[in-house]
Amino acid sequence: MSPGGIVVVAEHLRGELADITLEMLACGRELADASGSGLICVVLTSDPGPFKALPFASNKTIIVKDPILGAFNPEAYTKVLSHLLKDLSPRLVLMGSTSIGMDLAGSLSVALGATTVGNCTRIELEGGKVLVTSKLYGGKLTARSEVEQGMVLCVLMSGSYPKEGGTKNVVPEVEIRDSPVPLTGLRIQFRELVEPDAADVDLTKVPVLVGAGRGVQGADNVKALTELAELLGGAVCATRPVVDQGWLPRTRQVGRSGAIVKPRLYLALGISGAPEHVEGMKDSELIIAVNTDPDAPIFDVAQYGTTLDVQDLIPALTEKVKELKGGA
Amino acid sequence: MKVAVIIRQVPDVVEELVIAEDGRSLSEDDVMYITNELDDHALEQALILKGRHGAHVAAYGIGGSEARDALATSVAKGAEEAVYVPLEFKDRGDNHKLAMHLASLLRDGGFDLILSGMQAADQVDGSLGGLLASHLSMPYVGGLVGVDMPPGGGKATVKKEYPGGRIGVMDVTSPAVLGIQSSEQPPRYVPVSKVMQAKKTLQVKELKTPVPGVAGVHITQLQKPEAGARAKMLEGDEAKVAAGIAGLLKERGLL
Repeated sequence: MSPGGIVVVAEHLRGELADITLEMLACGRELADASGSGLICVVLTSDPGPFKALPFASNKTIIVKDPILGAFNPEAYTKVLSHLLKDLSPRLVLMGSTSIGMDLAGSLSVALGATTVGNCTRIELEGGKVLVTSKLYGGKLTARSEVEQGMVLCVLMSGSYPKEGGTKNVVPEVEIRDSPVPLTGLRIQFRELVEPDAADVDLTKVPVLVGAGRGVQGADNVKALTELAELLGGAVCATRPVVDQGWLPRTRQVGRSGAIVKPRLYLALGISGAPEHVEGMKDSELIIAVNTDPDAPIFDVAQYGTTLDVQDLIPALTEKVKELKGGA
Repeated sequence: MKVAVIIRQVPDVVEELVIAEDGRSLSEDDVMYITNELDDHALEQALILKGRHGAHVAAYGIGGSEARDALATSVAKGAEEAVYVPLEFKDRGDNHKLAMHLASLLRDGGFDLILSGMQAADQVDGSLGGLLASHLSMPYVGGLVGVDMPPGGGKATVKKEYPGGRIGVMDVTSPAVLGIQSSEQPPRYVPVSKVMQAKKTLQVKELKTPVPGVAGVHITQLQKPEAGARAKMLEGDEAKVAAGIAGLLKERGLL
């Protein structure tokens, strides 16, 4: 690869490619076409099988194989990638704003002397500069930054580019390599991958979801939301902070590390709209948000909203729904 | 076992965020601070280790004077040591700078584990933990929802979260830097009276050394997201808004 190209670091678990990989390839393809540079997809794995015939939108796919790379290990990944990226010397490296990409950005930044930009939603190349748009302060503000020279590592947020743009109808050139460095003496050892507990409700199949955010203010208030959800033939779900507080079980979490849902109705109650949560519910058919903060980012994804207090609105809404159902 | 926890003060995003005249930073006078939420989880995880194995917990409070209050809270919750690292407003949110600074302060501390929240609301350049670990030549893994370690140190067993709720279990040889996503239990509550009491007797060690001049990312512009697809706001009292929502549901066959 000639210096100045673009590299995408693929993410996968148990042989399944993560959607973020295709979104990064869509972003990379757009930039490579606009700048006339090459796009390489790098896959680290113990088994090239599931990846070598995928029609990625890259010009080339490099698969690095080693038994240690059978599961994600941040130390092993950093060793391989710092070696490989030094060699490829790209202008831009795309990683996912995920539990995997975020582990790598810092260590690769130091190892390669590269600039790292996090929470990226849009990347442009203009006259030799890399221009990046990122989300900051829980998505409430947008930051624009510029990097004039050197390698840039961009940590891309899910949902920023359409995943359809990450594939084409031919399989690109594939090169399978052994690890460029011995993966011995590692201080991190992967032991096992544990599947989540079976959920009492499959959130991805429920037509109506009543989402509880921190604005709900306590486990006691969740009861009223459950009643409303049941009246609407749906279920209660929650943001990460609500689950972390123990107000609802982990199986009810929607967002980056929980369920990705697309119900007919998502009623977002006391939810600010942090990017991690929005990733999991933005494709719902109808989103109605209730939040006392008129600047809350949730109102950017909702079709309808109100700044009334959740505690004041829910009893009135529950009564109204009962009344309409009774009269139906 | 010695555990250090990094506790950053960040702008409270629930409050209004005012952009400064330079158009690329927040107006310092208008910022309300809170402890970075995931750092609070990191402290809780350290205190859980203390409960299990009697770990010595040192809290490093980063930021302006508000960091001292956070340190009092940390001590009231159970931390043994409080260290204040003043950081000027202009230097905050730049994890490259903070990581290099903290590396020089923590290098000789003899810590088995250094815990921090895996991200912060004001950061624009990558996780603090990964950068800090690289400067200290220690391993780093983030996105953790559980940490355990035998009392004598050696190897920590960590639980790392992946999309869809899958958990990766790994062994990490100490000393190591760990990025916490959430503690095994919700962060403990401590009554205000106990914090006030801790404040009276609090012994804070202040580490006031120059911050390195490196910079992670140069922000050229800070702005509110472009309004385009903003929600249509339903106006009126509870009864009126409830009727409006119910009407929308009926219209779409959801009732």
